[in-house]
Amino acid sequence: MKNFFRKVAFGLKPEEKAPSDPLTWAQKQVETIPELNWKGKYIYSEKEMRKYWITQRVEENTTLRKKYKNDPKGLEIAERQLENDTGGKFWQNNEISIRHAEGVRSNNPVLAKLWYFWGNHFTISETQRLHQYSTGAYQREFIRANMDKTFETMVYEATVAWPMMMHLDNKDNIGPKSKSGKEEWRRREKEPATLNENHARELMELHTISPEGGYTQEDVQELAKIMTGWRPKWTKKKDHGHDVSFDSEIHEPGKKRVLGKDYKRGKEGIKLAIKDLVNHPSCREFIATKLCTYLITDKPTKEMITPIIKAWEQFDGHLPEVHKAAIKVAFEYNDKYEKFQNPENWWLQTINMSGATYAYPIPEKKIDKFELGYLVSQELREPDWLLESIGYHPYRSKQPNGYSDLSNDWMSTELIIRRLMYAKKAFHKYKIKDQIDDTIHEKIIRTNFDNPDKILKIVSRAKSNEEKHMILFNLPEVLRA
Amino acid sequence: MKISRRDFLKGSATTLFLAGFNLPALAAASKKKNLVVIMLRGGMDGLCAVPVIGDKNFEKRRKNILIENTIKLNSDFALHPRLKGFNECWKENTGSIIHATSIPYTQRSHFEGQNLMETGGRVAYQEKTGWVGRAMKLAKLQGDGLALSLPMPLLLRGVPKNNNYFPASGSLPRKETLDLLRSVYAESSEDELLEMMDFIKKRKDEQMMSGTTGHGKRKNKNLAKQAAVYLRKADGPRVAVFEVNGFDTHAAQGGVDGTHTKCLVEMDDIIKNLKENLKEAYNDTIILTVTEFGRTIKQNGGNGTEHGYGTAIFMAGGLLKKSQVYTDWPGLKRKEMHEGRDLNATIDARSVYASAMSSVFDLDFKRIQKDVFWGEDLQNLSDKLFKV
Repeated sequence: MKNFFRKVAFGLKPEEKAPSDPLTWAQKQVETIPELNWKGKYIYSEKEMRKYWITQRVEENTTLRKKYKNDPKGLEIAERQLENDTGGKFWQNNEISIRHAEGVRSNNPVLAKLWYFWGNHFTISETQRLHQYSTGAYQREFIRANMDKTFETMVYEATVAWPMMMHLDNKDNIGPKSKSGKEEWRRREKEPATLNENHARELMELHTISPEGGYTQEDVQELAKIMTGWRPKWTKKKDHGHDVSFDSEIHEPGKKRVLGKDYKRGKEGIKLAIKDLVNHPSCREFIATKLCTYLITDKPTKEMITPIIKAWEQFDGHLPEVHKAAIKVAFEYNDKYEKFQNPENWWLQTINMSGATYAYPIPEKKIDKFELGYLVSQELREPDWLLESIGYHPYRSKQPNGYSDLSNDWMSTELIIRRLMYAKKAFHKYKIKDQIDDTIHEKIIRTNFDNPDKILKIVSRAKSNEEKHMILFNLPEVLRA
Repeated sequence: MKISRRDFLKGSATTLFLAGFNLPALAAASKKKNLVVIMLRGGMDGLCAVPVIGDKNFEKRRKNILIENTIKLNSDFALHPRLKGFNECWKENTGSIIHATSIPYTQRSHFEGQNLMETGGRVAYQEKTGWVGRAMKLAKLQGDGLALSLPMPLLLRGVPKNNNYFPASGSLPRKETLDLLRSVYAESSEDELLEMMDFIKKRKDEQMMSGTTGHGKRKNKNLAKQAAVYLRKADGPRVAVFEVNGFDTHAAQGGVDGTHTKCLVEMDDIIKNLKENLKEAYNDTIILTVTEFGRTIKQNGGNGTEHGYGTAIFMAGGLLKKSQVYTDWPGLKRKEMHEGRDLNATIDARSVYASAMSSVFDLDFKRIQKDVFWGEDLQNLSDKLFKV
């Protein structure tokens, strides 16, 4: 049963008392969205973060390129300084610390684990430097903040959010028959207006109904037409990080037909299309399956998925109810199924179970001392480096489909070596008094396992406390939850 | 430019009768054969690496970034002078270029392009496995892939139990720790973890990244040395995959010392170090490159180039038929270019990859075409490019 605390959260701290009613304990955490645990000064909005992004992009793409066009070395140096000035290597570390504080310091680790799920569902992959400036804020503002609303609201907000529009190129999605599409200069300058289907396809494939929804290429194109017009407002044909708005001059006129339903031209199209997509049976099934895959097993059964779909239907996709249903299923199948934990969740579980005296995440007072323009210290860069090393950087997924939830994808030699190395690293985040405390592992094990004696016996074969840490956090019982 | 498209087609006609011969079953190879794929991310400029000789259209459009003192390969093409490793292969008759080629993708997004260069498909993000992984599965090569990057590249996905090497900092756990964990995995029937542990136990501490000099171990040239050690072994992997980043040079692409050159040299160092360290196993190896697209012929205002279409593939190894620049050259006049700006692609890069895999995995080309590339219209180039 104690397994459940690792399944839906990150286990218990050595001194923590197991909640007497685990199901209620977990479900209560997803009812509301409390303030972030992080008390540092750098919690900027996505819009504020765009300022740094713009400076970086405009300077590197225009000013510096012109200035150093015959001087690659000079360009390199100038680019490095520019990155320091805009905090290009700082923000991600700050954001990861905010993110991880929710997992290991807050009173709502279950909510945090689901937040990570949704962040990955609405992935902003590593492109256009968005990961350096925007993705962290995006995940706070458009994902976490909508976890107490309906799925429909979350999809809409995530879709028209500036980082997503940039990421999936809807900025380049221009109606060929729109007013702008017919303008003379396009012929003259050979810049015809064309649809960009990228975002429309992902809205269906990744974010809502999945290929199971049975859409055709024509449906993708029609949805792309509905989405024309939505983009950051441009000035002088450049993207300067302005807010996303609807520009009717580039919107494709006429009605569009997606999955057999007609949509009129105009701004409302996208909202109506999303409403229909999230109410498509394939959407409920897709999300319910994904939630079970994340929490319970690589191969969810129909019996697991059904109660989640029922809750969805009953509460019109209200996410707290969907989450509660998923948690309940995880609770019911707790003893029968174990899920291989992805690298980030494994790391947070290692940290959390090790105890509260940990120097992780980096404390606010250290991060707040950082000033833009300066080199980011090794210590402050650790979160970024760590997540990249263990193969799960939540802002640097290579593709818009995010990271896999399947154990196969985490079973690689190098990734298992990393878990050994980082279990050791985790041990050295202990204060000395904990490092030499020979009872610490027994405490961890007794608090977190139903069969402590068996695990204790294995771990006691290790020669040192450091080695105990490496063995314990790489036992099959700990790799899975 | 003296050559026209027709000349090349004539030249290749003589071997056509061989196609369709001896098709269903290829003899099982007695020797272990290796495939190494180097992924060039960002769009490799085929015309910077392998420029055409004497084309006024080309020289005019690239005044400031033209590569000088190139190495003449034949009457029509030259090699970037810094690609010394490849040049050695060329001189030994084990280096080839496929020019004016590309995956069938013309949209100029790195993102989609890189996805497609790995999946081998036509619709971005549709496929979740890579063309190498699928072919390995077809050849029943489980546990024979080695990725020199983290995490497992899409290219290799589709077959389980691939190994990877991309050293972490710090030192490996003590042997006793590994033994202890191994025995626990064995007792709890954790077969996959057990296999990983066996891979890890063969790992040596000096292969880890440690100390101040250790960071160099994640450099591609050093990864290549290590990969060669693994590939050389009879029971070692048969497929290795590398990544070189940074080809996206919109500015200061530069000439012979520019940013694009730096990336090409990184690629060249992989080839050079593989060749030197594979030793005799080099004779049974094909090394080849993939990239998402080429770059515009015309330089931009910042002495860089924009995203283009047609590019080149580098190949090296003893399984190559001979050193050659294999191309169906489309020409560089405006009307010959793709959308009036890019080198056209006249050879589907996947034809080259399917042919290479047919040779190295001893699989019938048609099976690869059908099961790896969904029966797409690909050309069997095996007898033109590889020893059959």
